[in-house]
Amino acid sequence: MIGRNRFGIRAKIFAGYLVIILCLVVSILSVNNQIASMQKERNFIINHDIEVHSLTNEIEKQVLDMENGQRGFILTGDESYLKPYDRAADNWESHYNRLSELISDKPTQQKRLADIKTSIQNWIQYTGEPSIQLKRENKDKEVVSFLKEDAGSKSVEQIRSQFDTFRTTEKGLTKERADKLDEQNKFLKTGLYSLLVIVVAVSAFIAFFVSGSILNTIKAVVRSLTAMSSDGDLSQRIHVKTRDEIWELAEATNELLNKIERREWLQSSTNQVVERYQGTSTIKVLGEKFVTGVAHLTGASMGALYVREGNGEKSVFSKKGSFSEPMGEAGRETFKPGEGLVGQCVFEKRILVVEKLPENYQVIGTGLGEVRPRSLLIAPVSNEQEVIAVLELASLEAFTEQHIELIENVTKTFGLTIDSVLGRMEIVRLLKESQAMTEELQAQSEELQTQSEELQMQSEELRMINEQLEQRTLEAEDRSAELQNAKIQLEEKAKQLTLSSRYKSEFLANMSHELRTPLNSILILSEMLAENSSKGLSSEDEEFANVIHSSGQDLLNLINDILDLSKVEAGKLEMHFSEMNMSELPSQLERNFGHIADQKKLKFEIIKERDVPDIFYTDEKRFQQIIKNLLSNAFKFTEEGKVVLHIEKESGVPLVDGADHWLKITVKDTGIGIPKNKHDLIFEAFQQGDGATVRKYGGTGLGLSISLEFVKLLGGRLELESEEGEGSTFTLYIPSLPNGIVPVQEMDEAVSEAAAALSPYIKDENQMMEEPGGNNLPVHEQARADISSFQGKTVLIVDDDYRNIFALKTALENEKMNVITASNGNECLELLQKEQNIDMILMDIMMPVMDGYETMRRIRENEENSRIPIIALTAKAMKSDREKCLEAGATDYISKPLKIEQLFSVMRVWITNK
Amino acid sequence: MNNQMIVTDDELEIGYVENLEADLLLEAIFRLSGFDFRKYMRASIIRRIQNRMRLERIPTITRLHEKVVHEKGFLEKMLNDFSINVTEMFRDPEFFKAFRQHVVPELRKLPEIRVWHAGCATGEEVYSMAILLEEEGLSEKTTIYATDMNEKVLEKAKQGTFSLMKMQTYTRNYIQAGGKEAFSEYYSADEHFAYFHPSLLRNISFAQHNLVTDSSFNEFHVIICRNVLIYFTAELQNQVQGLFYESLCPRGFLGLGNKESLRFSEKTPYYNEFAAADKIYRKR
Repeated sequence: MIGRNRFGIRAKIFAGYLVIILCLVVSILSVNNQIASMQKERNFIINHDIEVHSLTNEIEKQVLDMENGQRGFILTGDESYLKPYDRAADNWESHYNRLSELISDKPTQQKRLADIKTSIQNWIQYTGEPSIQLKRENKDKEVVSFLKEDAGSKSVEQIRSQFDTFRTTEKGLTKERADKLDEQNKFLKTGLYSLLVIVVAVSAFIAFFVSGSILNTIKAVVRSLTAMSSDGDLSQRIHVKTRDEIWELAEATNELLNKIERREWLQSSTNQVVERYQGTSTIKVLGEKFVTGVAHLTGASMGALYVREGNGEKSVFSKKGSFSEPMGEAGRETFKPGEGLVGQCVFEKRILVVEKLPENYQVIGTGLGEVRPRSLLIAPVSNEQEVIAVLELASLEAFTEQHIELIENVTKTFGLTIDSVLGRMEIVRLLKESQAMTEELQAQSEELQTQSEELQMQSEELRMINEQLEQRTLEAEDRSAELQNAKIQLEEKAKQLTLSSRYKSEFLANMSHELRTPLNSILILSEMLAENSSKGLSSEDEEFANVIHSSGQDLLNLINDILDLSKVEAGKLEMHFSEMNMSELPSQLERNFGHIADQKKLKFEIIKERDVPDIFYTDEKRFQQIIKNLLSNAFKFTEEGKVVLHIEKESGVPLVDGADHWLKITVKDTGIGIPKNKHDLIFEAFQQGDGATVRKYGGTGLGLSISLEFVKLLGGRLELESEEGEGSTFTLYIPSLPNGIVPVQEMDEAVSEAAAALSPYIKDENQMMEEPGGNNLPVHEQARADISSFQGKTVLIVDDDYRNIFALKTALENEKMNVITASNGNECLELLQKEQNIDMILMDIMMPVMDGYETMRRIRENEENSRIPIIALTAKAMKSDREKCLEAGATDYISKPLKIEQLFSVMRVWITNK
Repeated sequence: MNNQMIVTDDELEIGYVENLEADLLLEAIFRLSGFDFRKYMRASIIRRIQNRMRLERIPTITRLHEKVVHEKGFLEKMLNDFSINVTEMFRDPEFFKAFRQHVVPELRKLPEIRVWHAGCATGEEVYSMAILLEEEGLSEKTTIYATDMNEKVLEKAKQGTFSLMKMQTYTRNYIQAGGKEAFSEYYSADEHFAYFHPSLLRNISFAQHNLVTDSSFNEFHVIICRNVLIYFTAELQNQVQGLFYESLCPRGFLGLGNKESLRFSEKTPYYNEFAAADKIYRKR
């Protein structure tokens, strides 16, 4: 390209020089030529003219010589004179011929010469020869005549003048020639000058042209470059019209610029992509930004980034960013290494470009339609020699080298970025997790603290309860010692009674059991005796045996009753809930009590309502026992009239947990009735209407109390309605409990308190929350009323002022404290060595001998004393004093002058844990 | 993502069924009482529930659920269980020291100061703040709004009566927090309790407020909410941080518990770390 039409700088310079040299050569040659012709001219002038002149002179001389010789001879007759004559006569013609030759180009001169020759020949013929002949012939006379005539001298004169003319003409010619030479010389000079001028002009022109052509292009290049560098716009190119090295330079520069521009594009594109995703903290956002950036720069219409998740064989690449998601079902969310081209890329670790995609390849959707991508590019993103992500781009155009280079470029650093973002995400996750864990820990520790506080509060509450109980006792003591004693005794007795009642119950339970064993044998044996199977007894004996048996039976019943009651009271009785058939109940009772009714001639009615369900869940044995007790009670105290048993379904009772229905069973009699004031009493064990009743009707009086206990255990309620002499109505409400009930232990107060003391955790926390605020006592009053925590505690007062000591001592001794005093630090230390049980030290600071700070430091030096609370008594408004106190080892400080209330408060704070 | 993971771990730990039961229980409690514990840290809530189950000797959460719904007074008991009221006076003394040293000089410039103490529990820290502001001579222009969702603890807070046993700790805290007087200037004690002088209550108003369900009620210069957010999931923490942000005037201060952080909150960019080590942040 450059070779064609090329006219290089070298060529230009060469051409220029060549032209100049040619000019010079031409001028030198022409000058040389001129000089040569002038030389020739001069030579001609010198040789020809001089020869002409000399020949002319020679001929003239020879003419003269001949004249002289002739004359001499004539005069003298001496032959010797004739010698020059002969020589001249012989030679002149050769000279003449030579001369004639020389001037052959000048016809006028030739004519003149021919005239001269004629003259000479005339002389010779008419003068010379005849005279000489005459002389020789000695015709002197004639010779004299001849001389007299002197025709000869005339012709010599003529020759001479002819020669003069000739010579003059010849000189004229010579001059003419010299003039011509001069002219030529002048012309040469002029020529030389004009040549010089021409050469200079040509040289200047060539120099101007060559330098101009070089400079202009260079300037154009410089201009372009300057423009580029000042604009920074590298898109411009250098245009050079010439086809020289500068053009080559420009072309090379353009090429360089192209390269730079490409590199710059690459660099700026890379930067653009990098900038896009800089600062992103999640991989998803990073992926989106990266893919979008790369897609924009490469003109791709669709793109996706897959990032590796997991390691080794389990690794899966999943989509973390996309540009124009594929429409429809095309496109995958994840792939494994080796799966498809994308997976292949993971193995190959190089960029794969696929052109000419098949017809059915996924389409790029736009709002208006769909197009098929033309080429596909799959690039791996590596970090530390491992492919950690794959970028896939689809484009409607082919990917250029530059695009691929860009992708290579950006993927190079992107691996590190992914890694660092993943790392950062991991760090953030871990940080968050650790923050969450820290918070969780804190929450847990607070919960624990809450729990421990709850425990503390519970024990505090228990302590409060105890203390309040104690306090009440003390208050009572304060009011009246006797009352107090009586109360204590009563409480004691009550406790003893409760205890003895329990002991009794337990004892009875044990005893009844122990009694029944021997009684059983009595019963069995007496029964056997009464049957009298061996017929060995008399009828009287048989009657005795019957009495023994029936008495034993009575005793057994009594013992059973006692056993039941004692079991109930000892809390040992267990209920066994099971299914019970209510339909059988009336006939059963009829069987059991029919004959008693007959005996006592009473009417016995059993009414069972229809809506009473047949299936009833309860402890059948105890249930029947209740009914039987109530019935036998009714029969026992009824002399005439009737006993009515009424069974119905009850709906008016609030259901307890798990009850499916309730029964209301009424036993009504027309007996003696129970006076109102005895209603409560009859349910107490061993109680009947009154002493007389006992005597009249017999029985133990245990039946009702046992029944009542059973009713409670079965979850029911027993009510009594009666007036003396008007009969009684016992109403039993009882639930049907398919799942039984958790027996609610009816404990007396002492037992429940004991239980509370043993298991504080069962207590209701609501009560605790109400402490201390829930307490209705005014708090200060309550505080005053408490037992002083100062009581019996030992306090050491260190002060040099006796009035202070006295005042403090009095106040503290009023609080029943043991007070010891020291008037300075030394004494204090001595006392501390002697006394072991000091609970607190009140330390004045300003003391002689050893001041408070020093004393406290000394006290704290001893390991044993490191925990004794020291309250420093400082002067008010001296913050530095207080800090010094704390440094010296004071536990707390209080400002002087002391307020006794404040002092007590501080002392309570620090003495409380002792 | 992270948060979900933690919850997932929790769920694995707790078990699917138990978690379901807890969901239902919390839903019921929310509907019955308006107290929303659904976004509380599940592990913590479960532990509180289990604690109650242990006390009541109830084997499953569902049984507990029944009691909550049907048994009178039980709901209140549960609510009490969920409100954890661990606090102490001048808790983390460095916080109060930093507050005294760095925040107080800023507050001096203000004509009036409103402080919101969110989740004040039994009020120990409210009294601490009142003492601090009194010592700094700011109490006259300060109003402290102390709120908690639990009215019972608020009642307790209003009394300003704290167990004597804790007073040793409180005294040490007070001293470490840079107390300027003798701590005993502020209370009188009997054998069981220390009674803080009612004059401290002058500028404190107690009110019931639920951070989860209630909105902002004023604009404050200082918001103190310490060791409350630790019971919340990240989502709820963000929500509450949003509430604080709304309630804080420009250049206002936010004080958090020493295990808490604003670092992962959505509101992080809107605060400067004022005394980061002591968890005091300042709104931009």
